[in-house]
Amino acid sequence: MADKPVYEEASIDGQPPKLASIPASDTTVWADASPLLQAACAGLRDGELIHGDNFNLFAAMSALEIMDPKMDSGIVCTYYSIDEAIENGAAPIPISLDSTIDVRCTIDIMDHLLACEAAWHKGHSLAQTVFSCIYLLRLDRTAPHALLHSYCRIIRATCKAVVSVVSDARTHEEEDLFTMTYGLPLNGDGDDKCLSILNAVEETISRQLRACKATSSKRRLPEDLEPLQSNPNLEEGFCKALLCRLRFRKHFFHVLSCMKRPQGRGLESARKHIASCLTELESILKSADFLRSCFDESCEGDIDDKTTASGFEPIGFDAMLNSRLSAPTPPRAIKILSWKKAVEYFVKLLHDLDVICSYSLDPHLESLLRFVVQFQKSQPDLVARSHLQLLLVQDGKLYGRDPFFAVINKAAALPEATKNHDIQKNESFLQLGMLVMNLLKILCTNAAWQRRKLGKFLQDWRVIYVQLELAFRNEYGEVSSSSNDENTCMKIFQHILLWVEEQTYWIAFRFLILGFELELYSTGEYCMVYWYLYAVLIKLTEKTHLMMAVSHDNAKRKGKKKKDSPKDLARESRIPPAVLFLQCYICLAEGLSMMLAALRNEIPVFHSPSPFNTEHEKFVQHFELLQRACIPDHVSYPSYKESTTHARFSTLAMYNYFKDAQRIAKEVKSSFSNDPERLAELRKLEQVAEHNSVAQNVICRLGALDPSLKVSFEFSHHPFFATVVVKRS
Amino acid sequence: MEAKPEEKAEIEAPEIEYVSYGGEHHLPLIMNLVDQELSEPYSIFTYRYFVYLWPQLSFLAFHKGKCVGTVVCKMGEHRNTFRGYIAMLVVIKPYRGRGIATELVTRSIRMMMESGCEEVTLEAEVTNKGALALYGRLGFIRAKRLFHYYLNGVDAFRLKLLFPPPRQVL
Repeated sequence: MADKPVYEEASIDGQPPKLASIPASDTTVWADASPLLQAACAGLRDGELIHGDNFNLFAAMSALEIMDPKMDSGIVCTYYSIDEAIENGAAPIPISLDSTIDVRCTIDIMDHLLACEAAWHKGHSLAQTVFSCIYLLRLDRTAPHALLHSYCRIIRATCKAVVSVVSDARTHEEEDLFTMTYGLPLNGDGDDKCLSILNAVEETISRQLRACKATSSKRRLPEDLEPLQSNPNLEEGFCKALLCRLRFRKHFFHVLSCMKRPQGRGLESARKHIASCLTELESILKSADFLRSCFDESCEGDIDDKTTASGFEPIGFDAMLNSRLSAPTPPRAIKILSWKKAVEYFVKLLHDLDVICSYSLDPHLESLLRFVVQFQKSQPDLVARSHLQLLLVQDGKLYGRDPFFAVINKAAALPEATKNHDIQKNESFLQLGMLVMNLLKILCTNAAWQRRKLGKFLQDWRVIYVQLELAFRNEYGEVSSSSNDENTCMKIFQHILLWVEEQTYWIAFRFLILGFELELYSTGEYCMVYWYLYAVLIKLTEKTHLMMAVSHDNAKRKGKKKKDSPKDLARESRIPPAVLFLQCYICLAEGLSMMLAALRNEIPVFHSPSPFNTEHEKFVQHFELLQRACIPDHVSYPSYKESTTHARFSTLAMYNYFKDAQRIAKEVKSSFSNDPERLAELRKLEQVAEHNSVAQNVICRLGALDPSLKVSFEFSHHPFFATVVVKRS
Repeated sequence: MEAKPEEKAEIEAPEIEYVSYGGEHHLPLIMNLVDQELSEPYSIFTYRYFVYLWPQLSFLAFHKGKCVGTVVCKMGEHRNTFRGYIAMLVVIKPYRGRGIATELVTRSIRMMMESGCEEVTLEAEVTNKGALALYGRLGFIRAKRLFHYYLNGVDAFRLKLLFPPPRQVL
């Protein structure tokens, strides 16, 4: 393209020549196509369409209306290109000839970039957020401006690192906007030196800060240092404001680098940098007062909505310049997070990363699963979840350290020695290892995606069980074991088969309860959901109990061959606390299911048939994936109807499952005195049980008699066990 | 997609006339309604795709000659199931809360059922209480939650209605 703008020839209607931003070349010429288009429009009647082999009505839906800003991403809004924007002064270097304004504007750019970064993390494209910064799009031209240059470099390197983490996790689910980077200058020469460049600038400003403090205390300075900007009253404030921003970037980059180190080796260092980040973020927040007050002009609008601490609009940003890099249709205009909300986002992200870095890399799968479930309760965002996933699964091993067969071996309560057994080379065991790996990855995804994947996953777990069982039968049939190795193999199979069943029911349990968190069930469906949950919990408890019995036997055999004392025998016959915990769940599920069934059978308003289908269809839809995998066996709509059809207030009054739940919860608390997470859960279960017990009594006594009684369900005490609320309407 | 119960217009139910899509003369009415109420930029081709290929599935609601509501749908084979899809549903604000949307959707679903559809599906914002209640009453379940489905970051539910298997004719 020619460097100089070219004036086009006078157009047909005699208008003065306009500056053409796309000049004609040797082989091209501009021509006015309006008459041709008009003739074409007149050539078709309303409702007629040109047909082509590859052009049907479906294809036609992708049509764009040229110059419709909602559809035409090629439309020029302000500037045709980045170069034109720069030529027209959209991103000046220096930003201002007045050094004070230049510094403040630089800080505004830093703040806006932080807000853009947070918006990107939250699910918008890089092109519309961070790379709406013209300075970043042409980073090399910022070289004369050390502050801006170093900041842009480290932002670029940070974004690249974050894209890399999320891409590696490869389960960014529907959030695929996140990793779209084509056409964006993410790779920069020399970005590996971004930290040293930043350090140099930080050092300079530190010295400037020391100098201005020395001046104010009238001490002589040894250095002959040029101040940051021209207003001595503002020097300290600006230096501090800059330093905390630079230091935040430095420490954040370190966090990412440390967490990337294999096998969790950098986690402790990462925690230190996280702490520093949080400190600097606090300083950044505090700097807002200074930045807002240092100029006489005040900014318009609500300060809380602004993307900068000072409240001023940042210079050098244009989200439309990249619109052609996005999908064919222009991206919908997005709202960049406010600066305050951006800081809040990073605080949360850092806390979530800190939880990950504090994790002890427990080799016990059961503890790990509980950790991941607990972590997800704080609703971490994509960047945090990707980091967790990469920590857990590296190089096909747990934490990059433990082979999955060894992990399964331990989880299935097999002796330590068997973890190296050759049987792990067996195809089925290899596949099982993959399933466990995939399970961990799935558990790190967002709840909506997770539930869909878990549902489909059930089939895989069922299949592996059948495969293993088949292999077991083929090898050992009904033969009583002879050789030692055969003994060991049998034992491995038996333990692992049992463990696979337990895991399968755990996944089914998780699948069902996530439905509550995602609000997938309407009140009319709670009865069947709690009923199915009850059925799954019964099996899960059974398998868990068996698993514990089997591991207890193992432990016994390993221990000294003492004669069992009466105390030992008594302890053995007690139900393990983990099983009691599950029994508490069972009571609540059963209680809710029966109460809902009674309400539906006794009170007409609770049973509202739909014109197009019945409860049967809803049952089939909700539990299709479970039914297909036969989880559990012998559970079907007819068996559900049979269990619930006779529920009445009178039958409900005969047995209070909630009182049972209360009793169990109280009893088992002492066994979990060292487990704050389970204690908290038990307290919640107690509250639900207590409330529901009372509600049940009220309903049983008054339900059929008092038509003004209104029953509703809230998740105020527990995320998936509803609290029944009875009111008079 | 939307049917929020709001301020009611003074109308009697029998005054609403429901009409099946009848041709090109109905197209601008549908387009105006949808353009007015939705932020999605549909080109005319999108409308034509639906009403030309499945005219029997689109309905309009008139009150005293004015078009106050419309539903636009399609149906087809999708992964071995014959499935209906509700693409657009609009009732103008003053006419909401009167069951017009329910009636429009019901007519369309009935037509789908009679045409052999096994199920019907659509997406709705998780915050659209009106739509969720409407479809819930008709027998739809929330089959899936789609994270950040809409560009404003709002999640969606995929709603699905499964028809009972057709009764065997002996």
